[in-house]
Amino acid sequence: MSDQLLTISGLSAGTEDTPILHDINLSIGAGETHVLMGPNGAGKSTLGHVIMGDPVFQVTGGSIMFDGQDVTDKGADKRSLAGIFLSYQAPVEVPGVPLYSFLRTICQMRPELKTTARKFRARVGEIADQLDIDQSFLTRELNVGFSGGEKKKIEMLQLLLLRPKLAILDETDSGLDVDALSIVSKAIEAYRADCDGALLMITHNTRILERLSVDHTHVMVRGNLVADGPASLIDDIDSNGFARFENELAQKGVE
Amino acid sequence: MTQHMDAAAEVATTTLSHINVPPAQTWNYLRINDIKMELPTPKVAGDVYAGLPQLFGKVEVGLGDEAVRWIVSSAGDSNFYEVKASEARTVVVDIDAATGDACDTGVLVRTGAKATIVTFAHGGAEGSSSASLLRVVAEADAEVSIVEIVAHDGGQHLDGVGIDAGERAQIEMRQYALGGSRVAVGLACNLAGNKSRFTLDSRYLAQGSEILDVNHVVRQRGRNTRADIVTTGILADSARKTMRETIDLIHGAKFAEGSEIETVLVTGDDVVNKTLPVILCDEEDVAGNHGASIGAISPEQLSFLGARGLSEEAAEQLFARALFDDAVIHAGNDDACSAVLARAATVLGAEVARDIAEVLGVEPKEA
Repeated sequence: MSDQLLTISGLSAGTEDTPILHDINLSIGAGETHVLMGPNGAGKSTLGHVIMGDPVFQVTGGSIMFDGQDVTDKGADKRSLAGIFLSYQAPVEVPGVPLYSFLRTICQMRPELKTTARKFRARVGEIADQLDIDQSFLTRELNVGFSGGEKKKIEMLQLLLLRPKLAILDETDSGLDVDALSIVSKAIEAYRADCDGALLMITHNTRILERLSVDHTHVMVRGNLVADGPASLIDDIDSNGFARFENELAQKGVE
Repeated sequence: MTQHMDAAAEVATTTLSHINVPPAQTWNYLRINDIKMELPTPKVAGDVYAGLPQLFGKVEVGLGDEAVRWIVSSAGDSNFYEVKASEARTVVVDIDAATGDACDTGVLVRTGAKATIVTFAHGGAEGSSSASLLRVVAEADAEVSIVEIVAHDGGQHLDGVGIDAGERAQIEMRQYALGGSRVAVGLACNLAGNKSRFTLDSRYLAQGSEILDVNHVVRQRGRNTRADIVTTGILADSARKTMRETIDLIHGAKFAEGSEIETVLVTGDDVVNKTLPVILCDEEDVAGNHGASIGAISPEQLSFLGARGLSEEAAEQLFARALFDDAVIHAGNDDACSAVLARAATVLGAEVARDIAEVLGVEPKEA
């Protein structure tokens, strides 16, 4: 059993008006790959954002321990610097900021990644080639005018550059064509191989998991984690859907 | 040619008014209609200078007549460039405030020709003054790219641009106002030809007690013309900025579309930010749009940048650095890059300026 990198205990969270997550317990060991599945609107993305520290959501109970420290009350920037990475389902556009400036700044924030400009350029160029990203994108404004596939590739570029301890990939495969999906899958594989980082994959598409060795699968329904299991649970859900989990939850009286 | 003025010597001064008057004025008590500047009186007595061809006299410049006359007088000789049909040419105008440069430049871009024009003002320090007047006539199907940079550490600068666009002419302009104690920038573009297009990406940074005064005017006369103005800026400390943006959809400009968007990041408690967006319309089948966002970085952007390790303060620093990065990326000339980097060293520190140069693979020249 590997050391626990992330331990979520009794976590409840939501927006100001609406509770979304209820009493979540989840542990991810260093270097493990976890998959989080569930029907639309189950709260999967919310969990990803709450782990990241998105101020849109408020934690109303429980705790989040990461790499030996309690990060429940820490801001997203502190969590990021501690080694958590969230790949956005819809990456935000930042007009006025060239991609190069952004990448250089987020690397220089991290003592372990500080390097000379020459080495930085070489590293970014290498990853861009790996992801089939045209070098001209580096001088364009961050995510502005990029297609959905391009935005996801840029997210993967950040993942490989930052080498986080835990990467939460929120439906990174959504909206990708076959070629882009292949490139993104390879990037995730490279992250696992080069960084030995842990993964929490939020996805509906099992194709992106084909190249990965999944350690645990979790199922979320209506803000509750209702099942944990091995990788074979993914095939079960593929065949039978989420109906039985929803029924079980209903029988317990959870609306 | 450029006229040099001795800033160290005692010189007579002239007060210029009506510098950046918008086509449609508003209440005077708002103090947004005009800016005044006190500049050295041109020394013209007894000299005969080479002026631009009369063609350029008809080109509207956003600065106003009095300011245009001052620059023409101060410059003395003018510089005229003709880019012949189907040719491509780059014109660079170097305005050095250390020698009090005032430049009067005219560029005639013939049918189907391509021109890249770079003007950059640098070397400004307290007590200095400089000026540039650029007038461009773009004939049918011409493609013109203009980069205008003002990168002073202090002093006054007056910068006027006037463009006339013929049928299907494409004008792309990037404007960077990066510093100067008192800077006035006036731009007018006349989309006279059908299907002509003008895109302006205007960026600025004003900090300390700097004053930045901007006037953008686009006259859409031709049918199916397009104008897109995107302005982004950062105001810090007690900087004062006035921005006038006018899109004038003139009678006959059927199916013309114009839009103006401004995003201002305010990081100082004593900043004064004034914006006067105007869309004038004298034609029915046209579209005019205006949007503005003034204040802090948006919550969505802050959340995203936070997830990459940036606090709000670090995010603001990123925006400032990004402004200089972008100017270096698009400067299109080594000397202009060096001017931007010199200003970056003052604003962001020498280490960051060096980093910008190295990351972008630029070797700045020694000052």
